[in-house]
Amino acid sequence: MATDTAQRPAFPAGGNVYLPHIAVIEKVIDETPAVKTFHFNFKDEKLRQEFTFESGQFAEYSVFGVGEAPFCISSSPTRKDHLEFAMQRVGKVTTALHRLGVGAEIGFRGPYGNCFPLDVLQGKNLVFVGGGIGLAPLRSLIWNVVDNRDSYGKIDIVYGARTPADLCFQYDLDAWAKDGSIGMVTTIDREHPDWSGTVGLVPKVLEEVGPSPDNAVAIVCGPPIMIRFTFPALAKLGFTPEQMITTLEKRMKCGIGKCGRCNIGNLYVCRDGPVFSYAQIKDFISSEH
Amino acid sequence: MAGNKKIHSQDLVKLLEKWSQDFTVFAPSRENGEVLMREWDGKDTGFLEWYRNSTQPPKDAILPPLEKMFAFHKEKEGYRIELPPEQRRRLLFGIRPCDARALTIVDMPFKEGYEDPYYLARRQGTLLVGLSCTRPYDSCFCTSVGGGPSDASAVDVLLTDIGDGYLAEAATSAGGELLDGAGLADASPADEAKAVEAKKAALAGIGRKIDTEGLKDRLLSCFEDREFWEKTAAKCLSCGVCTFFCPTCYCFDINDEMVREEGARFRSWDSCAFSVYTQMPMENPRLEKWRRVRQKVCHKFEFYPMNFGVIGCVGCGRCIRLCPVNWDITRVLDSVPAAAQS
Repeated sequence: MATDTAQRPAFPAGGNVYLPHIAVIEKVIDETPAVKTFHFNFKDEKLRQEFTFESGQFAEYSVFGVGEAPFCISSSPTRKDHLEFAMQRVGKVTTALHRLGVGAEIGFRGPYGNCFPLDVLQGKNLVFVGGGIGLAPLRSLIWNVVDNRDSYGKIDIVYGARTPADLCFQYDLDAWAKDGSIGMVTTIDREHPDWSGTVGLVPKVLEEVGPSPDNAVAIVCGPPIMIRFTFPALAKLGFTPEQMITTLEKRMKCGIGKCGRCNIGNLYVCRDGPVFSYAQIKDFISSEH
Repeated sequence: MAGNKKIHSQDLVKLLEKWSQDFTVFAPSRENGEVLMREWDGKDTGFLEWYRNSTQPPKDAILPPLEKMFAFHKEKEGYRIELPPEQRRRLLFGIRPCDARALTIVDMPFKEGYEDPYYLARRQGTLLVGLSCTRPYDSCFCTSVGGGPSDASAVDVLLTDIGDGYLAEAATSAGGELLDGAGLADASPADEAKAVEAKKAALAGIGRKIDTEGLKDRLLSCFEDREFWEKTAAKCLSCGVCTFFCPTCYCFDINDEMVREEGARFRSWDSCAFSVYTQMPMENPRLEKWRRVRQKVCHKFEFYPMNFGVIGCVGCGRCIRLCPVNWDITRVLDSVPAAAQS
């Protein structure tokens, strides 16, 4: 299955693709001690009305004076009240972002990259496999699918984190667990006093859940190590490389295929991805990801 | 297009003065022992006595090592963004055919998809008056990668040294207008004949050859051959010289600077030779040197052909001449193992 590589509108400010739009933070949610979700809207009313994106696309967010960093848009395009992104505090830009509160202005360029191939996913059984903050791009698609529930088959979600405190988007996990049409399994890596649910690494738990590959597509996102071990687990269950989709993360600067650093072989994660089928990247992924 | 013109050596200064009225003219200049394309000093054309090629490729006139993308000001109503002023048109005098061809290769990613406004504005606002290469270096191998010492395919005007002056050929309509407006005499058949001889001699001067036949497939086939890449990378210092002085390298970084309420976003050259180039907070796909060397070689000779249909190298030989440990791309390419039979 080829992922969608059509170039989508990027709403360049004043025709210059590097100029950021000004966005205002409307809400901050503490997901874990190191992860926050930001709800935001554009300052420009017209852009607020016109802006569109697809699940899986990302943007370059900036704190003026500190720098830019890429994160996916973690909200669903089916929910238009505001946009969301979530990230872990790990470096210079994320630390500066974590210090911002409601009303702060950030820079935004995008949306960039391709998206999850909704046309291919329609009518299929979907298996979502996520780890940690890797649920951010998946939740955009999951809510997108849930909001058009009749167009899709069975939905299974396997989501894990290191400890109970590292589980992100608890409000989503609760909502999906309550939704009778979704098979939801949440796991943590090791036994923990605060946890009575499933224990085990995501690829192993996925094998235990054992979703059928028939008319199914698996969508995988998490830390690189999880992604690396999830593909063989899916293969064991009978999924072909074309039936495995992932969204990748790399160091990026421009977000539009120019600055050079995010390639896997001849493919640029920002330009040709971030959404790839395993078939597209399997030749390079063993040593480049 | 009108016929070729002749520029007498003694008229060259006047010609550059004339062009300086409409353009900022760049010409070879010596700074601290390095040859750089810099704003012409308006004095003379003495550089033609010693000029072979610039140490730093003239790409820095189109893609500067450091450029301000925009300024931002924190004001009461929020952030205000301000673009830098537009620049005057430029004319690069004396660019070599390899370096001009390199710009057509750098154009590809900057034009593809979302256009890069900074690069393209400078590129489109710059005329290239090239000089046929009559004294190539031992390290030059332009003819192996699609170019040649008097290749006019990427310049607006090509000048060829014919002893008492230069034969001037217009290669584009902009180049034609430039020559038509310069009040030059038509070249005589004898001038034309001398240029043909000069070009022939230059071509014969390119002694180094590499075999690019099947190279892309050979590289694809040995992508996972760690032993080969470790051997290839063994003496590399990861200093980045080969990338900073490469006319087709274009990778860049973007960073902010801010003091109180005033700041700016800059872009600066970056290099795949540095591990920080791909460093993410928790992992780095190219932490080991051999992976970075592999990226450099494969980007130019495997991924560029896959993505754009051309080799991303023009054979200028700078990476060979300037490498502190004599790492030699032509030897590396010759040592790539034959493609595995599938």
